Amino acid sequence: MKLPVPNWAKQSVRLLTHELKRGELTIIVLAIVLGVASVFSLTGFSGKIKQALLNESTTFIAADRVLQTSREIPFQKQTSEPDALSFDEISKRSQALNVKQAEQVLMSSMVFAGDVMALVEVQAVSSSYPLRGDLLVRYSSKKNKSIKVNAPELGTVYIEEKLLSLLKVSIGDVIEIGESSFVIKAIAEQIPDASFSVFTSGVKVILNLADLNKTQLVQPGSRLTYKYLFSGDIDAMHSLTQWLNPQLNDSQRWYDIQSKQSPLANALNKAEKYLSLASLLGIILAAVAVSVASRRYAQRHQNNVGVYKAMGASLSHIRKMYYLHWSLLSFFSILLGLLVGYILAQLGFHAIKDYLPVEFTIDSASDISFTGLITLGFYPFIIAVFTGLLCALAFAITPLKELIATSQLVVIRGRNLKPTNQKTIVRLRQSVIPLSALILLLFVFSNDLMLSASLLIGGIIVSGLLLIFGRVLMKVTRNIGTKAGASWHLALANLQRRAQENSVQLVSFTIAINLLLMIIVIRSALLSEWQAQLPDQTPNLFLVNIAQNQVDSVEQFLEQQDISASDLYAVIRGRLTAINSDKISKNVSKERMDGSDNGRKGVGRELNLTWRASLPNENTVIQGKWWQSELADANIPQVSIEKTLAKRLDINVGDSLTFQLGSEVITVPVTSIREVNWQSMQPNFYMIFNPKVLADYPASFISSLHVPLDKKVPLQEFLSAYPTISVIDVDAMILQLRKVIEQVSKAVEFILVLVIFAACLVLVAQVQASMEEREREIAILRTIGAKGTLLRNSILLEFVALGAIAGLMASVAMELTVYLLQSNLFKMQTSFHFEYWFFGIFAGASFVGLVGLLSCWRLLNMSSVTLIRRTM
Amino acid sequence: MLEGKQLTLLQDINLAVSTGETIAIVGSSGSGKTTLLSILAGLDLPSEGEVYLKKKPLHQLNEEQRSQVRSEHVGFIFQQFLLISSLTALENVMLPAELANDDNAQQQALDLLAQVGLSERANHFPAQLSGGEQQRVAIARAFITKPDVLFADEPTGNLDRETSTYITDLLFDLNTRYGTTLVLVTHDLTLAERCQRRVEMQGGRLIDDQYVNDINTEQSCAVKKVEII
Repeated sequence: MKLPVPNWAKQSVRLLTHELKRGELTIIVLAIVLGVASVFSLTGFSGKIKQALLNESTTFIAADRVLQTSREIPFQKQTSEPDALSFDEISKRSQALNVKQAEQVLMSSMVFAGDVMALVEVQAVSSSYPLRGDLLVRYSSKKNKSIKVNAPELGTVYIEEKLLSLLKVSIGDVIEIGESSFVIKAIAEQIPDASFSVFTSGVKVILNLADLNKTQLVQPGSRLTYKYLFSGDIDAMHSLTQWLNPQLNDSQRWYDIQSKQSPLANALNKAEKYLSLASLLGIILAAVAVSVASRRYAQRHQNNVGVYKAMGASLSHIRKMYYLHWSLLSFFSILLGLLVGYILAQLGFHAIKDYLPVEFTIDSASDISFTGLITLGFYPFIIAVFTGLLCALAFAITPLKELIATSQLVVIRGRNLKPTNQKTIVRLRQSVIPLSALILLLFVFSNDLMLSASLLIGGIIVSGLLLIFGRVLMKVTRNIGTKAGASWHLALANLQRRAQENSVQLVSFTIAINLLLMIIVIRSALLSEWQAQLPDQTPNLFLVNIAQNQVDSVEQFLEQQDISASDLYAVIRGRLTAINSDKISKNVSKERMDGSDNGRKGVGRELNLTWRASLPNENTVIQGKWWQSELADANIPQVSIEKTLAKRLDINVGDSLTFQLGSEVITVPVTSIREVNWQSMQPNFYMIFNPKVLADYPASFISSLHVPLDKKVPLQEFLSAYPTISVIDVDAMILQLRKVIEQVSKAVEFILVLVIFAACLVLVAQVQASMEEREREIAILRTIGAKGTLLRNSILLEFVALGAIAGLMASVAMELTVYLLQSNLFKMQTSFHFEYWFFGIFAGASFVGLVGLLSCWRLLNMSSVTLIRRTM
Repeated sequence: MLEGKQLTLLQDINLAVSTGETIAIVGSSGSGKTTLLSILAGLDLPSEGEVYLKKKPLHQLNEEQRSQVRSEHVGFIFQQFLLISSLTALENVMLPAELANDDNAQQQALDLLAQVGLSERANHFPAQLSGGEQQRVAIARAFITKPDVLFADEPTGNLDRETSTYITDLLFDLNTRYGTTLVLVTHDLTLAERCQRRVEMQGGRLIDDQYVNDINTEQSCAVKKVEII
């Protein structure tokens, strides 16, 4: 049986299909498609890129997240500690979330090969280690190909090459660790989570976690570090974090690569912020486009509604008809938007796949479909549909309501009966829905209410200012125009005459150009900051443990070879035992009783202390003052403390700190607090004393060097005479860092292209919106005999002027927003960018001029008769 | 209200139009003829006075009720044609019949298009039609519901003389065939002369009322003392 379709539905569908076919809805469809597609591709793409970059960089911690603690997490809940975590629970939760797990236990221990012994870092790993990154070994001491492996087989170990010479052994020999013997199976070439810290210089020995008990190294009181490694997709890791975080005690740390203070984490954090910001701006642009297009849609349909009403259609008939029309239109556009967004994201992936690590796609099997296309997951899908719906509803509801309320008298008196002197309060009330929708969108997207609200409020204030400024500017140009040629005169007169519509148009042009400039400027600022972070002369090698009597010859050698090096820093081990009269040791033992010694630097463990006469590079005194070299000041014992440690231990300038150095105890006042750039590849210290305090203590020395490839052999030869000096080569790490930063830059560039695309479409939509009125005007001007060239030039110049004004205002606004973003969001050096002003004005004028002229081209080439007939 | 002064658009209008009567409202621009038309058709309401259409007191009805009256009794022809640009000629003609829930809308529309000589153009969109053709579609649309009263606002105002004559013939021809009451507003004296009755307006008042022929006397449309602020 055929279901009876009501007439309103029939009429609605008929209207829609004809309008779609005739291209009358192109702009509105494009606007929604643009919104959905850009959100879908930006979210999908930046999400994937974030994940890919994280996967690449998480190799630095061999996992996505690590739960680190000094005490083993018991398999089951202990009755004495009902709140504590149990390994069983963690495993179950991880399995449920499809999160992979690995474990490792770290400790220092002596290893023996016959009579020879050495102090090493034992790393006992479970069979699935590492979860991220590669553990590379080679099975012979010759430099042949390295192989990717997991934990060593039972009874075998992988060792770092240096240990071979220290223990005078070779591959296949047996070494003893604790109570058990192990065969050296291979040399560990690359250990993914090898420490960055130059002070933990112990040689690594990797054994299977299942062998750890045999060694009997785990005894009550042993200093152990347990690391539970986890990896999975972003959502799973997020929910694991949500579950785990509240249950952690003070001794348990749950960190990811970004929470580690490293140049990499810094770059990643900023890249992530940039990608989110770019996506947010994409949403704003889409919303602007939808709101412009829906207003035009409503205007165009006014006559139709009037005719319907005159012919006796009831209000509910019209309401149902238009709501259905709009819903179908939105549905169609959202669908199309998803498709376009999907294609865009795929194109994006293909464009940058050479720069992204391949493993990110095969990492989780679900990410790759049979055709080789990358699935984007549900989140981008949901947020894109949500964006589409919200845009289609919130930004169109007011125009749609006004449309339905159109008086039937339009059929008699003509269009635009809408009172133009609408009260400001009414207008404000009408903007409540779209604005709340926008803030909701921004919030859902950024999860940051402050950021969303400030973007929106800032946007409103800026738009208001722009509106006023634009009007003034148009008036001024009009006055200039009267003195210029006919085309200019007409163009500027037009501009001023339509000041109301034009200033709205101007604001959206300005916003589009502003967002564009902002994204370009921040991108280049970020890139140059990243470049500066790892300049060519970045130290790639540390010399540690240089004895006092070796200092001169090392310095001499470096000078001879022309190797650039940091100063030599003295290192004296010492323990902070008291702050003022509060003893630290007490706190530590109390913490221990609570089961909390998380081994944080500066708390309950020895610190590396140094002395300096002058403030090191990359250090800034933020409180107190650095000691002067005059005798009086230099003779007073003093210490300078690093900012974060000072905060953690609640130490202020004027407090006195007591240290134990071997058997001696010293007490010195804090005279300054320093901010240290930990990202600089140079030795950095929490505590720096003035020479008076420590210069006479026996110390070892440390230095960072930049050693070019050709100087490595002479350095090795030189150092062979000094076997006690340890060398830490961070070349591999720097290389990896450079690679990640290059990838981040590529990602940032791709997003930039998408935002440019979005901004261009907003411009086109806005120009299109004014087309009908222009048509009428061109008809009139043609009728009164205006020449084609005059019309063409005046239209071109009107748009050029509009674009140039928008470009200028956008540049000013950009300068302001970039300043705020740099100082608040990105926490980077602020800068001014006058070179982009010219670009903004030029790009605005040429783009808006071109789009305007092209849009009017058809009209300009029509005969007067056709034009008149069209507009009557 | 204009700058605090009351602006009277229509004053002391007493007019009764009988079934089947053809009446032309003439007058100079701004004399109030279009305002009167919109009140007669129930598009607008007078601030004072009574308006009846087919015995229905329009002045007591709300917007929705007046819409209902229009859909049952009224047809329109406009100077600007006001066809829906994204619908074909056929669909435009069908529209009022569909609004009245007529199941046979399409066949009736095709018949009417044939009567106005546009069978071949049924699937053309308004922009593909000439002015005269568009007005013929509008006329077909106006007659599809066989309205009791047809209101025409300057139906030939946008057409050349030749087309005007054709459209006028068509309009009166169909009008006679369907027995419709025709109320038309026009500047065009030739058009006005074709009507049985001619009323002239000046400054919002009826100043002249002439019958050309005798007519049926059943009252169908009454306006008494209409005043608009």
